[in-house]
Amino acid sequence: MRPVRIILFSSVVLGILLLALFAGPRMFNPFNLTTMDRDILYAIRMPRVVVAMLMGMALGASGAILQGVLRNPLADPYILGISSGASLCAALGLLSGFYFFGSMSVPLTAFVGAALVSVLVGAFGWKRGGLWPERLLLAGIGLNFLFSAVLMLLMSVSSDEGLRRAVLWMFGDLSMADWSLIPSAAVFIVVGMGLVLSRSKALNAMILGDEFAHSLGFAVQRERLVLFAAMALMTSASVSLGGTIGFIGLLMPHIVRFLLGADSRLLVPASAVAGGAFLCFADLVGRSILPPMELPSGTVTAVFGAPYFLYLLRRKDVLSI
Amino acid sequence: MKRPLIVILAIFGLSFTVCAAEQASTPKRIISLSPATTEILFSLGLGGRIVGVTSFCDRPAEAKKKSKIGGMSNPSLEAIVRLKPDIVVMTTDGNPREVDDRLRAMSLKTYVWTSRTLAELPQGIRKLAGAMGVQEQGEELAKEIEEGIEKYRSEKSGAGSRKKVVYIVWPEPLLVAGPGTAIHDAVVLLGLDNVASRASSSYPRYSIEELIRSSPDVVIVGKGTGMDIRTVSQGVLKKLATVPAVRNGKVCYVSDHLYRLAPRVIQGIEELAACVR
Repeated sequence: MRPVRIILFSSVVLGILLLALFAGPRMFNPFNLTTMDRDILYAIRMPRVVVAMLMGMALGASGAILQGVLRNPLADPYILGISSGASLCAALGLLSGFYFFGSMSVPLTAFVGAALVSVLVGAFGWKRGGLWPERLLLAGIGLNFLFSAVLMLLMSVSSDEGLRRAVLWMFGDLSMADWSLIPSAAVFIVVGMGLVLSRSKALNAMILGDEFAHSLGFAVQRERLVLFAAMALMTSASVSLGGTIGFIGLLMPHIVRFLLGADSRLLVPASAVAGGAFLCFADLVGRSILPPMELPSGTVTAVFGAPYFLYLLRRKDVLSI
Repeated sequence: MKRPLIVILAIFGLSFTVCAAEQASTPKRIISLSPATTEILFSLGLGGRIVGVTSFCDRPAEAKKKSKIGGMSNPSLEAIVRLKPDIVVMTTDGNPREVDDRLRAMSLKTYVWTSRTLAELPQGIRKLAGAMGVQEQGEELAKEIEEGIEKYRSEKSGAGSRKKVVYIVWPEPLLVAGPGTAIHDAVVLLGLDNVASRASSSYPRYSIEELIRSSPDVVIVGKGTGMDIRTVSQGVLKKLATVPAVRNGKVCYVSDHLYRLAPRVIQGIEELAACVR
């Protein structure tokens, strides 16, 4: 049963990737490309698809890790305040006229903000020589409120149009996806993914409880720290690629658990792949339904994701982790 | 039984409004709730009578010294009332209707500016000037703008000869000037073709792919606030490297004259004309 499902799952993902490359407001015939088509394909669609894939993978995997680490089906990488911290940092950078790295400045400040907030959440969640799920979650929620409020405050007192538009960027925009950002972000995401995959057995054990994991010989606190760091790396990199895109981190692990089961060794990579494909799909929809205008992918993911999530909620007795 | 009462009330109401209109024909204390109307009021020589403006009103320089009543979409009613205005000048383009309703409910007089296109601007100025009791100045300013517009009106009508233009308002995410903006009107006036004229909103988030396909002959980048627009727009221009405008170096950085429907639009049209010449 499961191999069949995995094959089905992979072919759907592959189909979406091809669609995202060749479909859109205008279709490309892959066997007969004009020069303009080729330019657009290489300079615009390919980086967009790669960025969507990377971001979605980072978010999907982060969600799966976080739901396990926090033992909470509601967890998603943004609940910890990482996104609002990143937005706030980017906004502060813009306000202070930080434009040293040209068009890389916003992504860079966003990344720094996300990383700083992760450290801060970790610091608040740290007690008696380890990270504690409830503390992490509460610290994250508190910081999230704080940063969103300060950002709102900045937005309402500032008459700077540029700031408003930059914050618009933070709400999930892939239209500016460019090759230049991809390598560095990809490194963080690959390192994070490697860390998680090497720890997925520990994650499996931790979901069943700290004592259980301990009795199996896992150093629970150390594993938790490594997983948390991996999640923070991936989420920060994804924010710097294209702002904050909601719902993927929350949703993908639930969908994958429903389709393929809850074993972290499969759940984490499959959530990653599903997240990437879903974001590609959302981006495809966002640029195709109202041409020549574009809808931000972040809103599309929520519009499509939320109803499916609610449907799943009805179908299943319990939304477990 | 009830009808006579209504008639009496109506007559009473009518005479009251006529009275009020006469009394307020030269308002002494004016509040302007939009940057464009602030600029127009100053151009009409009413700067001295303005007592309050929004925090976005930055032109002319004296406007910055006026009391601030908040933003365009969220002006503080309290601040407005405290300034005891004879009239509050609002616009349908940016001020919420509720603000008008609330001000009227507090029996404050409002004047609502409704012009949205370049062609409507002179007439709008005449009407506003009339309401402010400065008809002559209004006529003068309106004439000046009409002459400016006529000077730049292009006779070109053949679609083939028209240059295709895109006006970038913000590069990341890409926002361009669509229909219903003074920019679009200026582009059309100059006999050019705005590639974003198909869009369904005034400042649409535009698809770069579609922009490449429409191969504009001239790219105009509007002035941004806060940061150097030349640096910010590098990314998008790199993506547009293959379109004729960028290939032939027809990328033009202009000021913000066309962002507001105010007397400065004429200078904006002048700049635009210089770009495509």
